[in-house]
Amino acid sequence: MSTIPAAGPTASPSVTKRRRKVDGVSIASFAALIVTTFLMLLPLFFMVSTSLKSKKELLRFPPTFLPDSWQWSNYKEIFETLNFGQMYMNSLIIGILTVVGTLLSSALAAYGFARYRGKGSNFWFMLMLSTMMLPYPAIMIPQFILFSKLNWLDTFLPLIVPAFFGSAYNIFLLRQFFSTLPDELFDAGRIDGCSEFRMWRQIALPLSGPALATVAIFAFIYSWNDLLTPVLYLSSSDKFTLPVGMSSFTSSRFRIPPWHLLMVASVLAMLPIVALFAVAQKRFVEGIVLTGIK
Amino acid sequence: MKRKRIKKTFALLLATSMLVVLALSGCSGGKSVGDVAPSGEGDSGKSGSSGEKVTITHYTIDSEDRTFIEKLIPDFEAKHPNIKVKVEKAPYEQFDSKLQTLIAGGKSPDVTSHYGYGGFAEYYNKDMLLDLSDIIKEDGFKASDYSIPDDLMKIYTVKDHVYGIPVNMYVTLMLYNKDMFDAAKVPYPPSDYEDKSWTFDKMVEDAKKMTHVSDDIAKTQYGVDFTWSERDMRPLYFGVEPYSQDTWSNGGVPSETHFDSPDVIAAYNKLFNLILKDKVSPTTEWSKSVAGQNGDAFVTGKLGMTVSGSWSLAGSNDFPFKVGVAAVPAGGNDKVRSVLFVDPLLILKGSKHPKEAFEWIKYLVSDEVQEKSIDLSGGNPPVNTKAAETYYKHFDGIDPADVKKVYEGAVKYGFESYNHLITNYSQINDMFINEMQPIDTGHKTVEEVMPTIQKKVMEIIKR
Repeated sequence: MSTIPAAGPTASPSVTKRRRKVDGVSIASFAALIVTTFLMLLPLFFMVSTSLKSKKELLRFPPTFLPDSWQWSNYKEIFETLNFGQMYMNSLIIGILTVVGTLLSSALAAYGFARYRGKGSNFWFMLMLSTMMLPYPAIMIPQFILFSKLNWLDTFLPLIVPAFFGSAYNIFLLRQFFSTLPDELFDAGRIDGCSEFRMWRQIALPLSGPALATVAIFAFIYSWNDLLTPVLYLSSSDKFTLPVGMSSFTSSRFRIPPWHLLMVASVLAMLPIVALFAVAQKRFVEGIVLTGIK
Repeated sequence: MKRKRIKKTFALLLATSMLVVLALSGCSGGKSVGDVAPSGEGDSGKSGSSGEKVTITHYTIDSEDRTFIEKLIPDFEAKHPNIKVKVEKAPYEQFDSKLQTLIAGGKSPDVTSHYGYGGFAEYYNKDMLLDLSDIIKEDGFKASDYSIPDDLMKIYTVKDHVYGIPVNMYVTLMLYNKDMFDAAKVPYPPSDYEDKSWTFDKMVEDAKKMTHVSDDIAKTQYGVDFTWSERDMRPLYFGVEPYSQDTWSNGGVPSETHFDSPDVIAAYNKLFNLILKDKVSPTTEWSKSVAGQNGDAFVTGKLGMTVSGSWSLAGSNDFPFKVGVAAVPAGGNDKVRSVLFVDPLLILKGSKHPKEAFEWIKYLVSDEVQEKSIDLSGGNPPVNTKAAETYYKHFDGIDPADVKKVYEGAVKYGFESYNHLITNYSQINDMFINEMQPIDTGHKTVEEVMPTIQKKVMEIIKR
């Protein structure tokens, strides 16, 4: 890198200036990026390293960077101490159905808000947005009474069904995206005799890859990490989700938590999120490249 | 044309969605009808009649030291064929939220304890608890038959009405790091409460010999961490009582408090001087930096002595150093040196089968089950004085005779923890932690902080 400034004077002044500026900035920004990347990865590194430590090594101070002896058996132990496989499945089922429900209902509602202008449609939109202001504890008990009257306690239904009724934040996000789609596309569809539903399905949805991917990620992460709702509604151990099971490690005020097992669980729990992000990220790019819109 | 079409579609959409809602509610309605019949027996509310099978719910924390009761159920159900026990679990942090929701939703559990943030007094003042006096009278239950000391029964008796049956008893004791004592050539502290040479000042003296404060955090170690009970209770250790006497007889609502009195301020100064003047105790920041947010710095081996609840004993087999137990040194209060944490079993007011729930409680406090529970739970201390002998022997590398002396002394010089006895306690405790933080860091003095605390305590109590 240091040779470039030396070569500078022979090149034409405008090129040199431009090059120098780019180089300086890019070196600095790359350095900054590398440093931040390491900082960001440090907790992840400690998570993986702790997941491989022995129980004795956990308590050592100052903590060791790498385990003295690599306890791969921790990964086996988690399946023996907790009903880990079952919890994983439960979380996946609830997570996937929540994503499906959120995408379907929010995309439909958002399409309606974006494309139809009726009397008071703004009022209804505002009313829907105002539900975002309600904190969960405020609706916790009424909702519990509702679901208990429906006899849905100790089933996955209270965790999945609400997703099929849309969520204000995601509807808002998708509506903003749908509003940017050019009217001409829909007019063309209408001339060809396309039904409203088909326009939603074959014009609006395929063009909204990035927005739908974002909503899918949000919905999945929210459901995957949710602790309070499953705690309230599930009571049989074989229906517990990952966060509920993992919180049992730190639930005792009287014991040292088995951090190594908790870290194993965290590493494994992180995988679907990483996988989803990898897949959704591709859609994200595709959406921009293929549609040529936005 | 376009407008008309949109209108039509909109109407169609509306109709469809209404249909869906109808179908859904209809469907679930059908389902509930189908479900009522089989579960009806358990929830029908006809308690007492012995021929009918009844289901009771025990609500507890989802951790191994609590959920071990699931292993006792088959034996209990064999002995009581008409009672079925179901365990409902929640993590510590969500314990209170779930309990409140269950009660508000008409699905109240039958048996529980104050395992969350809220203590007995909070439950009592929220009118959640069933008065057990009548059931006890009818049943002929006598605490002495279950080897439960009368003093412990009194803790959860308010105005001659019994609201809870004690099941576990944790005490406050001193744990010390034998390796650090050996390295500093200091003799081990005594486990005998009657050894009058073991005083607060002697403890500070010993602690000074083990304290090394260095710029290198890895080399820094402290002599003692005196975390005796919660912050608001600590003056009691020096013989000063900040809450008025009526608190202990009326269900935990103090008529007055004295947190700004000179005695209370002097007591707090004595404690904060361990950190600020004598420098034998760590600051909260230091403890957090070596042990994590909720961690215990003692387990890292950087503390010579710690005053703590006897639950710390349960993990002692895993500590990377040798551990001993000792008496809490005498601090000037002739009657109280240890804080007791007695967990009662409670029957909630919403219980539909209180008599069957009481059978389950009697089973859990029986001699045999109390003894079995020590091992099953991984070292929960029983209230049962017979089973206690087994408990004293439970810890590897710690002399059972020491554990016994420490326990017996603690009961003799013990007072039940304020967190179980005072109403709205979780709010009081949070307020104390926040307000006292600046003293810890040296930004404010005890004298500056206490008038505010006094004002806020009274506000919280009146809520």
